[in-house]
Order: sequence, then structure tokens, then C-alpha cells
Amino acid sequence: MKRITTGNEAVALGALRAGVKVVTGYPGTPSTGCIEHLLTMDLPGRHVEWSTNEKVAFEIASGAAWAGHRAMCTMKMSGLNVAYDALISIAYSGTNGGLVIYVADDPGVSAGMAEQDSRGFARMAQLPMLEPVSPAEAYGLVQTAFELSEKTGSPVFVRLTTAIALSRAAVEAGEPVPPREIDPILERDIARYTKAGAAICQDQHRALISRLERAAAFICEVGLNRLDLSDRPGGLGIVAVGGVRAYVKEACALAQSTGTDRGSASALSDVSILHVVTPVPFPRDETGELLSHCGTILVLEELEPYVEREVHVLAHRSGWAGRIVGKLDGTLSPIGEYGVDEVRRGLAAAREGTVPATEVRSSRFAVQGTKAASRPITVCAGCPHRGTYLAIEAAIERAGYSKSEVMVTGDIGCTILGMNPPFDLLWNEVSMGSSVGLAQGYVRAGLKTPVIATIGDSTFFHGGIPGLINAIQHRVPLTLVVMDNGWTAMTGMQVNPGTENAFQDGGRRVDLEQVLRGLGVDRLFVVDPYDLEGTTDALVECLQRSADVSAVLARRECAIQATRRGVRHGTTTVDPEACVLCKRCLQMTGCPALSLPVTTREPGSKPSGDGFDKLRKLSAASSDAEEPTTAVDGSSTATSIQIDVAACNGCGLCVPFCPTGALTWRAAE
Amino acid sequence: MMSCDIVLVGVGGQGVLTIGDLLLRAAFDADVPASFCPTKGMAQRGGPVKVEMRLGREGVGPRIGEGGADLVVGMERSEALKGIRFLKPEGTFILFDHVWTTTGAMLGTDPYPTLEQVTRRIRDATPRSIVLDPAELPSVNGRRAPENVYVLGAILGRSTVGRLLDPKAVERLLAERWPEAEAPNVAALRAGWRSGR
Repeated sequence: MKRITTGNEAVALGALRAGVKVVTGYPGTPSTGCIEHLLTMDLPGRHVEWSTNEKVAFEIASGAAWAGHRAMCTMKMSGLNVAYDALISIAYSGTNGGLVIYVADDPGVSAGMAEQDSRGFARMAQLPMLEPVSPAEAYGLVQTAFELSEKTGSPVFVRLTTAIALSRAAVEAGEPVPPREIDPILERDIARYTKAGAAICQDQHRALISRLERAAAFICEVGLNRLDLSDRPGGLGIVAVGGVRAYVKEACALAQSTGTDRGSASALSDVSILHVVTPVPFPRDETGELLSHCGTILVLEELEPYVEREVHVLAHRSGWAGRIVGKLDGTLSPIGEYGVDEVRRGLAAAREGTVPATEVRSSRFAVQGTKAASRPITVCAGCPHRGTYLAIEAAIERAGYSKSEVMVTGDIGCTILGMNPPFDLLWNEVSMGSSVGLAQGYVRAGLKTPVIATIGDSTFFHGGIPGLINAIQHRVPLTLVVMDNGWTAMTGMQVNPGTENAFQDGGRRVDLEQVLRGLGVDRLFVVDPYDLEGTTDALVECLQRSADVSAVLARRECAIQATRRGVRHGTTTVDPEACVLCKRCLQMTGCPALSLPVTTREPGSKPSGDGFDKLRKLSAASSDAEEPTTAVDGSSTATSIQIDVAACNGCGLCVPFCPTGALTWRAAE
Repeated sequence: MMSCDIVLVGVGGQGVLTIGDLLLRAAFDADVPASFCPTKGMAQRGGPVKVEMRLGREGVGPRIGEGGADLVVGMERSEALKGIRFLKPEGTFILFDHVWTTTGAMLGTDPYPTLEQVTRRIRDATPRSIVLDPAELPSVNGRRAPENVYVLGAILGRSTVGRLLDPKAVERLLAERWPEAEAPNVAALRAGWRSGR
């Protein structure tokens, strides 16, 4: 049946079509949609779950595959770093049932985290990697990946990039195929499933290499990497890898129509193209044919020049003497996502030896004149984290320090938004759970001021626990703030171990309070972040203590989720008579439910403030505040702060900041 | 085959993704090859959103290059500036002049562009620009019609999209998807279609 799907959904549908039995993963943009889609379906005889982290997810999938079933594990590129410890070991052991690792990379960094190229991991693990160009191709390639995995006994990667994972297009998808009805394989083979001794490990290394060779033979046999040779030898050869394949034809046509390709009228007909679907194993034979047919080679691949290096090695070894254009000669950048512009740039360089100005990015629209207003991301209206950030700020001040001398480490997820205005509180963001380890490093470095580690619930379960155990064991004086909103929120509200039982779908909740106490946190404060005073008190006590780990568990469900279920905390209202428009509520909370009808200052005038930090002191608030000016179109004048009743959930966090009592809160009935 | 490469920009919460989704669905139903590629930030609401759509194009990637869009739609005044670089020299620019201000602008610490500044930059890029005033949005039973459907109407009425896709089919699609909101949606779509005439 033809239907509209995203790349992520196509991966899910392809796996179902391949009879997958077990699918595990951890949420991470842009890969999340695959398991999200599976979880909307009724799938008898299969198991789909969000696991605690990617390593656990991969181990579960591997166990199922060792037992003979088809299994898939999904993650974003950062998750592959987590899974990799288990992954490389299992790569050396091989698999029985088809084992597919779906990883989504993010060139261009639309979702944060390192702009890493996961193809490097496939090379290091010597596992085949398939890269679709579209959702439709993803659907088919996932099935090919399972087949390849079982034919060779090798786990197989399927890699998508953001644009393909998230874009939607028509896909022809068949009916799902139920998993095989087999008894799980129980095979006791030390030489295969353990690393007990050098001989075993080296035999496994040999087997790994031979599996990749068999994979190369299979890939060649089914013709995954297509080679289109031109009629005339000696022309340009393009090696187009993965998602970039989509832009080659379009860029060639554009280059010809706009006259930047000053070759003859037959310029396009003498272009040969190798479409690389498998960067690993590198398609040596097809590339060899391309080299012997062409005089110049253009390698088009996003991020690192992995394939390009292979082309150079092959060219060198075969004595080929042409020119290779790509990243290594400086034509193209390893940074960012590739589209038609980058391909045109490469074409121009390959054709003419130089890149004409018309092909340089942004030349037509050099940044000048009016710029768009910046929209720093902040937490949502009613977000409980807002209360935690405000309390940390207040506690630092009350304990006698300034924000500039207290290290507050940050972590992955919504909690990292504390780095942005108006809080400007967090100093760093590394990887899942790193806030806890980094904080200990700052203590060990001899910092005399308090050190605070902040982390969200899912992130803590995922990677924060080992760091905390270390801190407890070594009696590290630091304050851990676990911001528990009950959901893996930033990736779109997935269930995590701490989510309420009602949403566990047969699973059970793991209570963070018990976990913290069980690990040995003796000084634990469980607080409600909507209770600014109570949360601040707890934090001040932590900051004033000098030995051992203290922890604050700030608990309150994600406002988005609560609101979706119709849960309201209260009602916040503004008295327009009492509001003097000092904007302090807005400055302190940055809440998106608060606004002024006034929207701009006049063009050309200088900003009147020095950031949201301005006017922290109540006394200065009224005198420093900018008077309401004319609205954008000069038509209206503000009389008071406005509360967007649709967005406001009545958390009341803005109320204590109003110097005139214009904001009032009452509890929901 | 006729085709139209479209870039839509706006702010999360304005229904930009829904416009793209409806166009994709209408294309799918009409057997017009199409792809839809969203870019959105991490914020639930209030963050920049972009959609790239390739209508009537087969065998092309989801992204549109600089200077590659036949049609750019700015759903929000300031965000519209980010769409300009995608416009073809003779392309059409539709600006829906909604102002979704920023906290920095409200506090007077960040600039926010005026309509004149934005339209000047658009007119420098193309002779074909259309500015829609949010005040023109019709009301149905005392409630303002949805602005994204109004803009969708303008897309159908003021660009080649109206020749690629049947506006009547889009109207039926709206009625199917939100039967309870059929009246305001149809009113908005038709008002958008007639806008600026």
C-alpha cells in the first residue's frame, strides 16, 4: 500500500516487513520517530521498548538476535557512542538472527550535540552500513540489512541523516510479516560468545574480517552500489555517498542551465556517477571501474572524508593519475549538511579547477541589513524546571555567593535550557550523565566555592547513576539537583523508568527517591519546584554544607503532559490597575505566557538594557524599566502585562516577583 | 510536469507544519510526487520553524538550495527574513505579517524588525511579493478563522500551487480532517484565496 511516511516510519515499517521480533532504543532526535511509530501499533508476538540507555537497548537486541530472532536497535549518533562498548564486542562475535542498528546522524546540527559521523564507527567495527537516500529507499534497505545480516552473520548498520529521517514522502509498503516461529537458540560456545583469551579474540578478529568480505560480495551481487558510466571515457566521475546522491542530478541540471558549467553542450552526458549506498564496505570494484573510466573524480559525502580517503588509496595503489576533488583538496567542507549548493560547488571546482563566485554559498544574499530577531529557547510556560532554576539562583545569592563563582554543571535534555536567558545558570553540556562527573572534577581541582550538578530524570537513569556512586564512595562535597518531571520530555514525551505506573504499559515505575536513598545519599531533600521558598531553603542547606554529597530531588510533572490531561495547578491573574509595567515578572521568569502588547522598539535606537539580568534588584526595577512605547505599527500602548490564558497553567512562579502585587495566584479547585 | 519548490518559515505554534502536511496530503491524493522536510528547534512553541516542500518533483532530495524556491512563505514578520535567501530571482514571496515577538524585544534588549524593513528586503529580492495583513482574517461566529488555513488559501490563490493542486480537494481535506471546524476553515481558505485581489 502506498502511504505517506517519514524516514523514521519507513525504517519501522521495513523492520516489520522483515519480521523483526524485538525493537529497542533510546529517544534522540532525529531517530525517535521509528520506535514512536511502532509504539502506536498493536504488534502481537513482537516486543518494542524504550530502554534505559542505548547500551542496554543494544544488548537486549543482541541477545534476541543471538537467540535466533531478528532484532533492531535505534538511536541518534550520540547514542551510538554509548552503545559502542557492547557493540564492538558483539561485532567480533557476530550474530545468528538478523541484527540491525539504526542510527541517525545530524549533519547541520538541527538537534544539538556533536556533529559526528557515525560511519567512522562502522569502519572501526568492520560492520556493513547502508545509507538510504529517501524514505522509500529506507523501507527497502532495512529489509536488505536484515537479509545481509543473516547471510553473513554480521550486525548491520542502517544510517539516516536528519533530512531523510524527518522528511515525509510516499512509500510503497507491504503488509508486516510476523516474526519466525522458532524456539530460541541456546548455543554454548565460549570461543564465539566470550573473549576468553588471545586465541579466541584473534580468531574472532579473523572471522570479523571475513564476514565483511562476504558482505562485500553479497552487496556486489545484489548491486546495491549503482555505477552509471558515461559513453565517453575521460570525463568527470562523481562518487556520491548516502543522502547526497539525491542532489547530483539536480545540481548538474542547474549548473548547465545557469551557464556555470561552461563545458560543451554534452557536458552532462560525459559525467559518470557511482551511487554509494554502502560506505562500509567500500565498493572497491565499482570505484576501480570509475577510476579507469574517468579523468577527474569528485567525491560528494557529508561530514568526514571517509569514502574520499578510500578513493585516494585505491587511486594510489592502482597508479591512477587523475585529480580527486572533495574535502582533502579544500573544495568542500566537512561541516554542515549537504544539499544542491554544495554539489554545485563541487561540480564547479571539478570542471574548472576553481569555484566561481556564483557558486559560493550566500554570495547572493550576503548578510546585511535587517536581521531576524533571535529566539533563544527557554522552558515552556509552567515548566517545573523554571522553579528549580529560580531557586538555584536565589540559593546561590542567599548562601553568599554570586552566580559567576558557582559552577553549575548542566546535562542533556530540557534541563539544559537553564543555560539560556533569563537564567544564564549552567556552564556546560557534555553527554548523558556527565554533569555528575564534571562536577567532581571541579571539586578535585580545588574550587573553594560550591559545585552544583543538575540533571533530568531520564538522563540520570541513563548515565548519571555511575557518576553519583563515585561521588558517594569518594565523599565528594557537591550538590546534585535531579529535576524529575516524570517524562523524557525534550524528545517528545517518552516513558522512562521514573514515569508513573499508569503510563508504564505493563512495566513498573522505578522511584528516583528510593534509588537516591538506596545508593547512599544521606542528605536528600525532596521538593516541589513550584514551591520556590521550600526549594530555595533546601538548596541553601546543601550549599552551606561542606562534606559529602547532598541531593535535591525537584519533583513535578512536565507541564505539557499535565496540561494534556487537563491538570491545572492554579490560576494566575494580573490586575491591570496595579501593574506598573516594570516587566520584572518577564525578566525573572522569561515565561512565554507573559507578554506586553508592545513588541518593538524603534529601529535604529540602542538597546536600553544589558540582558535579562538587568533589574535583579527590586528597588531598581521601576526606575530603570523602559516605558511602554508605541507598538509596531504605532497604534496601541500597553497598559499591563498580559497573561496568555491558553498557555499559562497557573504555576504561579511569576507571582512573587511582582513588586506591586498586581499578579495573584489561587489554587485550582 | 509542472512543479513548485516551496519554503515556509514561521514560529512553532502557528501551524506552519500543518500547512506543509496538508499540501503533502493533497499532492499524495492527486498522485503528484512530493516531499515535506520540516526543521524545527527544540522548543515546543515559539521557536523558528521551516518546512521545505518539493511539489511535482521526483528524484530530488528533500532540501531546497539557496535561490532555489519558486515560492517562499513567511508566516511571521521577523522569521520571514530567514526565508529570503531561498527565493529564486523571479520567485513569489508571501508574507503574512503576524508579529510573534520575543522576550528580548519585549524587554527592549533585542531589536525586532518593522514591517517596512522586512518588505524592503523582500522587494530587493523579488518583484513578486504579497503582504497579507492579519487584520484581514475573517471571523466566523465571532471567532477569528485559523491563520494557517488563510495562508494556505493564499498559497493556492496566489502561486502556481493552485494549478498543481485542486483547491476544492484541499477544502475537502480540511473538512475531512477537522469536521467540527469546517465552517471557519473553509471561510479562512477562501478569504486567503481571494486575498489581495
